[in-house]
Amino acid sequence: MTEQEVIKLTNEVFVDSFEIEKSKLLPQANIFNDLGLDSLDIVDLVVALQKKFGVTIRDDERVRTIRTLGDLQQFILTIKKEIGK
Amino acid sequence: MRILKIAFLNFCFYTFLITFSLTAFVNLGILIILAALFLSKRRMFKLLRQAIRWYGGVIIRILPFPLIRLDYKNFGLNDPPAPYIFICNHRAACDPFLMAVFPYEIVQVVNIWPFRLPALGIIAKIAGYLSVREMPYPEFAAETARLIKEGVSIAAFPEGTRSRNKAVGQFHSAIFRTAIETHAPIVPVCITGNESVPPIGSAFLHPALIKIHRLPALTWEQYKSFSAFKLKNYVREFIAKEVLVMDKTR
Repeated sequence: MTEQEVIKLTNEVFVDSFEIEKSKLLPQANIFNDLGLDSLDIVDLVVALQKKFGVTIRDDERVRTIRTLGDLQQFILTIKKEIGK
Repeated sequence: MRILKIAFLNFCFYTFLITFSLTAFVNLGILIILAALFLSKRRMFKLLRQAIRWYGGVIIRILPFPLIRLDYKNFGLNDPPAPYIFICNHRAACDPFLMAVFPYEIVQVVNIWPFRLPALGIIAKIAGYLSVREMPYPEFAAETARLIKEGVSIAAFPEGTRSRNKAVGQFHSAIFRTAIETHAPIVPVCITGNESVPPIGSAFLHPALIKIHRLPALTWEQYKSFSAFKLKNYVREFIAKEVLVMDKTR
């Protein structure tokens, strides 16, 4: 999966699950302060991402360091690469 | 000269506050003991929450007058009957006391620190106030649903903390998830003019006209198709727009 595909699919999750406008989905957008998700929304986000990408990220410690949409996209890209190896 | 007058009014307020609170807490303690002995648990809670409303009313309407004045407007005259979920913006430490303007049995959703206040924290705990950050969400949802079923309204400040500027902060979704589960009408409440009652990091009250606008309720029929995320942002935008107008018309 390419970086562009990961970005596209991640953004789709935000649009479909949270009805966030595409224009707000910038790599530097803070998931909490700019996009308005809270800890309960993150649970929904994780479920939606797992379904979309077919990965398990719920128990991954690296999730805790994610702050921006760009961080999230890079994290998923890394996970996908790790699975592909 | 003006600052001396304000300082004097502050002195009067805090003197009366301490005296009144000590008297109220003693009487409230006796009331709780008597109620526990002679009334059902449900009636005891109802009486206790009514007493808290009276206490809050005195604290916010009578003791700080003329330093602080309230202007309460109810735009929800055609609302369905209670219980409601009141959603308020949050700028000042006095906000929980402002809930006394609503003539309903109310339990407030609070952050951790109010439970640590001497006397007030104990009373809040006994009255069943919900410390949302100390409860796992399923426990919070179950307790909120139980209260609403009993006819108790819930008041929440979903920003979670006082706004550092006049902007309405991001909302937490917990209370909106319970609204979706319980079908309770959501009443947006906009509060302005309270920024200096008292300012963050100070106990000094500045003269203020606190405006409280109760907006028309959002009923289950209106929000049933919303996700919790969409609902919290919808209500937040609704409140933010009204707050902006209220701030401009001061």
